[in-house]
Amino acid sequence: MTEIAIKITVNGRPQEAVVEPRLTLADFLRENCRLTGTHLACEHGVCGACTVLVDGAAVRSCLMFAVQAADREVTTVEGIAAPDGTLSPVQAAFRDCHGLQCGFCTPGFIMSLTALLRDNPDPTDEDIRVGLSGNLCRCTGYQGILAAARQAAPGPAEA
Amino acid sequence: MTGVATMRRPRSLSEAIDTLAASPGADLLAGGTDLVPALRTGARPVREMISLRRIVELRARGAAGDWLTIGACATYADLAGWSLAPGLAATARSVGSPQIRNTGTVGGALGTASPRGDLLTFLVAADAGVVVTGPVGQRQLGIGRFLADRHGPDELVTAVKLARPCGPQTYLKIGARQTASIPVASCALVVDRVRRLVRCAIGGVASRPVRALAAEDHVAETADWSTGALPPDAAHRFGELVAEAVTTAPDVAGDDVYAPAAYRSHAAGVLARRAAARCLAGARGADARRP
Ligand SMILES: Cc1cc2nc3c(=O)[nH]c(=O)nc-3n(C[C@H](O)[C@H](O)[C@H](O)COP(=O)(O)OP(=O)(O)OC[C@H]3O[C@@H](n4cnc5c(N)ncnc54)[C@H](O)[C@@H]3O)c2cc1C
Ligand code: FES
Ligand code: FES
Repeated sequence: MTEIAIKITVNGRPQEAVVEPRLTLADFLRENCRLTGTHLACEHGVCGACTVLVDGAAVRSCLMFAVQAADREVTTVEGIAAPDGTLSPVQAAFRDCHGLQCGFCTPGFIMSLTALLRDNPDPTDEDIRVGLSGNLCRCTGYQGILAAARQAAPGPAEA
Repeated sequence: MTGVATMRRPRSLSEAIDTLAASPGADLLAGGTDLVPALRTGARPVREMISLRRIVELRARGAAGDWLTIGACATYADLAGWSLAPGLAATARSVGSPQIRNTGTVGGALGTASPRGDLLTFLVAADAGVVVTGPVGQRQLGIGRFLADRHGPDELVTAVKLARPCGPQTYLKIGARQTASIPVASCALVVDRVRRLVRCAIGGVASRPVRALAAEDHVAETADWSTGALPPDAAHRFGELVAEAVTTAPDVAGDDVYAPAAYRSHAAGVLARRAAARCLAGARGADARRP
């Protein structure tokens, strides 16, 4: 038997499963956990639609096997709103600023931007562009996304 | 993805070596940014995998005496802000996107050894050493030797060694997009103000990074080493010599979907001149740290 028993904390909840080693983290989230907010497009690491946070770092869930996320904490787009459903600042900004049209790329952008603003609360436009360079959007032309990032940025840390 | 896979997840280097000895040639899995797409497209069959992620000792990075040591499982993100290794940090920042930098590793770059790999080009300019470890212990190879011979089926790359910088270093690349794509041409320049020499490697232009030896000698002879400045006409000539080195390199890349060969050699010369402008502007010794 080649299957492996794993435990991954997904959005704060422990998830246990026995999986094949070749199961990707993206498929684990979508199929085993029924969390279909994480989208798959290229499945080659290029488009960023599948971005999730693993121990806080933005990664491609299509390039990682579920077993590699064993004993670690995974956050998906389903895990960043408040428990009562209040949107996170990044989510709210995407809605306010027309940061999405079809919405397919949006979960990946939201996760990348969430990590970016945590590490850099007061980014320049250039920082935002570079930070989001691994996410592709076919609809918006990126201007709404940039505006959303500016709105969601907490600004300079209080001295 | 087809085929039955097994995955072993050793927790220490010695366990990894035992696991590899029991199944030589198994696929080592680090960040997976090269391996997973290759498995998906069927370019490589899915078989036994040995995941290196749990081996904490392979992620360490440190400085001792004149040397910097970088564990094979250090990610680009681990290196992107490393002040002790400015050239390596610049190279790491030029790779992929944040998501790729958070997972892609040094060992994976050496395992893939792509002729366009950004890290490889820098390591050639830095004259780095590659440490490989197997059942009989570890051995260190120069980067050139490693790229020619690679490692045995029962060995893995465990670290990379670099001399502590003795002057400015930089890494510049031209890609379809500035980051998030492999380079059409790239240039790594390492200045050693103590030994009064430079090393320059060009990536993306041949089956391996190309050292521009005649161009390096030209700088060594024409730079003012008391200030670290290269006169403008010498910098221009440096660019020409680098472009020449590319055109005459063995197995130089021909025209392909990314660029015509003539563009590549031209771009290499331009990048080299820019790199020289950055590193040999005469920073009054501020960057010339003695080892
Ligand atoms: C979207 C995208 C963008 C990219 N952009 C760039 C770019 O701009 N520049 C660039 O240079 N690269 C780029 N890459 C390529 C890739 O990220 C690098 O080559 C990376 O360093 C591979 O490391 P990894 O840890 O992911 O390797 P893996 O995929 O885990 O492994 C790669 C290979 O190395 C072997 N291996 C892994 N660890 C070891 C070890 N310790 N010893 C021996 N062999 C080992 C594996 O068996 C495999 O054959 C990109 C990739 C993607 C998907
Ligand atoms: S689906 Fe993972 S990067 Fe495109
Ligand atoms: S909103 Fe449609 S791809 Fe971005």
